[in-house]
Amino acid sequence: MEVWDARSILLKMMRVKLDDKLLLQIEKPAKYTGNEWNMVRKDPDAVQVRFAFAFPDDYEIGMSHLGMKILYHTMNKREDTYCERVFAPWVDMERLMRERGIPLYALETYTPLSEFDIIGFTLQYEMSYTNILNMLDLGGVPVLAKDRDESHPFVCAGGPCAVNPEPLADFIDFFVIGEGEEVIHEIIDAYKEWKSSGGNRAAFLEQVAGIEGVYVPSLYEVIYYDDGTILDILPKSEKVPDVVRRRVVRDLDQVDFPDDIIVPYIGTVHDRIMLELFRGCIRGCRFCQAGFIYRPVRERSPEKLNELARSSVRKTGYEEISLVSLSTSDYSALPAFCDELLAFTEKEHVNLSLPSLRVDNFSLGLMERASKIRKSGLTFAPEAGTQRLRDVINKGVTDEDLKSSVQLAVAGGWNSVKLYFMLGLPTETMEDVDGIADMGISLVESCRGIADKNGGSLQITLSTSCFVPKPFTPFQWEPMDDIETLTEKQHHLKDRIRRRTRKIVYHYHNPRISHMEAVLARGDRRLGKVIYTAWKMGARFDGWDEHFSFERWQEAFRANGLDSAFYANRRRDFSEVLPWDHIDIGVTKEFLIRECRKAYEGDLTRNCASGCSHCGATVYGAGICFKQKKNQDQAGG
Amino acid sequence: MARALRFRFSRDERLKYIAHLDVLRLFERAIKRAGLPVAYTQGFNPRQKIVFGLPIAVGLTSSAEYADIEFDEEMTPESFISRINQSLPEGIEVMEAVPVRNMGRIMSLIASARYEIAFTIPQAMDQDTLSGIVIDFLDQEDITVMKKTKKGMRPVNIRPLIYSLSVRKPDGDGYIMEAFLSAGAENNLRPDLLMQAFAQKTGLELTVESIHRRAMFASDFNEWKSPLEVADD
Ligand code: SF4
Repeated sequence: MEVWDARSILLKMMRVKLDDKLLLQIEKPAKYTGNEWNMVRKDPDAVQVRFAFAFPDDYEIGMSHLGMKILYHTMNKREDTYCERVFAPWVDMERLMRERGIPLYALETYTPLSEFDIIGFTLQYEMSYTNILNMLDLGGVPVLAKDRDESHPFVCAGGPCAVNPEPLADFIDFFVIGEGEEVIHEIIDAYKEWKSSGGNRAAFLEQVAGIEGVYVPSLYEVIYYDDGTILDILPKSEKVPDVVRRRVVRDLDQVDFPDDIIVPYIGTVHDRIMLELFRGCIRGCRFCQAGFIYRPVRERSPEKLNELARSSVRKTGYEEISLVSLSTSDYSALPAFCDELLAFTEKEHVNLSLPSLRVDNFSLGLMERASKIRKSGLTFAPEAGTQRLRDVINKGVTDEDLKSSVQLAVAGGWNSVKLYFMLGLPTETMEDVDGIADMGISLVESCRGIADKNGGSLQITLSTSCFVPKPFTPFQWEPMDDIETLTEKQHHLKDRIRRRTRKIVYHYHNPRISHMEAVLARGDRRLGKVIYTAWKMGARFDGWDEHFSFERWQEAFRANGLDSAFYANRRRDFSEVLPWDHIDIGVTKEFLIRECRKAYEGDLTRNCASGCSHCGATVYGAGICFKQKKNQDQAGG
Repeated sequence: MARALRFRFSRDERLKYIAHLDVLRLFERAIKRAGLPVAYTQGFNPRQKIVFGLPIAVGLTSSAEYADIEFDEEMTPESFISRINQSLPEGIEVMEAVPVRNMGRIMSLIASARYEIAFTIPQAMDQDTLSGIVIDFLDQEDITVMKKTKKGMRPVNIRPLIYSLSVRKPDGDGYIMEAFLSAGAENNLRPDLLMQAFAQKTGLELTVESIHRRAMFASDFNEWKSPLEVADD
């Protein structure tokens, strides 16, 4: 109890003060001053739990993130809790903060990070991991979990990358696997209980380890073979589960969705209302982690969505709404829903943006109605250049589909088309790489006549990312192409395009960043030392080309006697114990192995809407699996 | 009752870190939240009909910003003020409004502005000494500095753009420069540039602490008038 009293006195004293001299020296000072419309204001002394929601990237990225808006809203609905926001300060701000000894603080009350009860990081991207260490350090919180005592906050983390929490095991006290809006309440309740019981740190961690979906890495031991692969992952006590099961919200209409989101003063990446149509994806593209870790598909009802659209515009004043999901066209009630929504947005002078739509007559008409301004760019994601390889990855798109879609779009007045591909997919040959260039060239040719008729010229952009094998996908055992091979493929493609046409712009990713992403995505907990060393050597904002240093990371590997190729470029055996084998996302390993074998056969798997392929996600008793069974029952009866 | 209003608003410390375009967007969203029957432009990309007098720089506080707004329905100044203020974040507030005859002329009307610039210098100086320096500074016929223009950085004589300049010493640290400067779309003199020139020409190692825009004027037959006073024109 004493500890708590001491802290609450401190709390009143500790408020970060910023002045003009500092704020007018940095870029976009409004990133650091808060006070935005709809920011939640509470008396910090009147709540029992202070939670800092930490986004390990720049404000402009973090404020665009839907998950943060949802949890901020959900937690702040509780009277006993105050959830505040913290972002990674950009390098100019960090330098000044360190110079002047200003700790990292939350935007709501300017309270230093170290004064919070719980700090929760969201893991959206592996390359933001070093920012987590940096933020803790700047906030006065020991970076290593083992160095924290009763006077320090608990540090937790969730989000998509948490499905393989191991590389961060040294830094995070507990992880939340899966969707947070229900489990967060159980965690806060447990915290209050623990706080009043006066127990020690370990007692709380043991307590939360009992909550489904919560993983406490310090309560597990990993045993390795001499070659660095894993022999076993064992819980240290009988009280913690062998396997931690991902949490899922069964009915999206039953959980809170925010309509009073914070409206930033400065432009952010997604500066608009986001309506989440559904979670999950029916498609099952074999490279796509999101296609597996959010199963099963669960839809929000059109009534609820329309209601949210109206109240959101009223409460935020936003001039744009975006429909978000992994594949908007798969929303079952799309036409009727859009009709109603458009009637509202047109009247209110609100633009509607419709990303990730499959292009056909219906969707083009929709886009035309929805947004009068941006008839400029359409994007397609064929992902691979040949039919063979698209079958391998289970991307059910044909050359013909694509050609007719692009022709439709160009005829409809869209004059710039972006095509996204991946290099380095399993089984890829140079023929597949050539296929990317050839597809672009044949589109330029087939659209020539149409574009001319419209008086415009068609701009085609081809963009390739590097395929990164991710946990819980059928490709989780695959080696990633090494950096030299990827670079060679990029150069080859560039040459081939340039030799044939000047009408195509080609963009490609930095394969060295992708290599490190692959390492962190499938890493084990020995990587904690590497991440720590890299951060000590100055790594942060690693996802940003201008801040990323491959040499620094390689040096960090050498310093710890590890090899990044072991993680990125090695083929794993199906029988190998994977670092994330004690995490259960619902989709079974058997299914993933089956899918991997089918990939090598070039065999397609149907989508969940046309029939169940028994991936295992039925255990959640929700969403499309349930609908599916009903249909089959009806058919059977 | 009018279809169009001209209004004055202020911005204080709390919102001085946002740029001019952010202020415009902030107003657009506040107007939407307030459900005000603002008029929209025709065409492909309908925008609210609202026009601002002079851009407001990052770091500047102000008690005299002006804008014109047009509505689809008749609107009283009182009702506009109370509704918009409920939807504006703390730190920006609409203070007064009057019907305006020629909506949107505000930009070309603005001709001068009055500023209070707080600054410090390393060695204390009494007010008379400092006033003397200011007078000497103003005595020059040519105060040429590099100024950002539409054609890039150019040498410009800013002396004709300074209408008056005086310094006072309030209680406490520092000094206040009261500057009355040419403003507007054509011959705008930014207060920070003035202070830079002042420091350069006088050799004073001054640090600008804050800048406040106290007033803004339209020129009306050789008389300075508040933009609200000429709203009938
Ligand atoms: S169990 Fe069947 S319907 Fe459900 S997500 Fe898996 S494949 Fe789709």
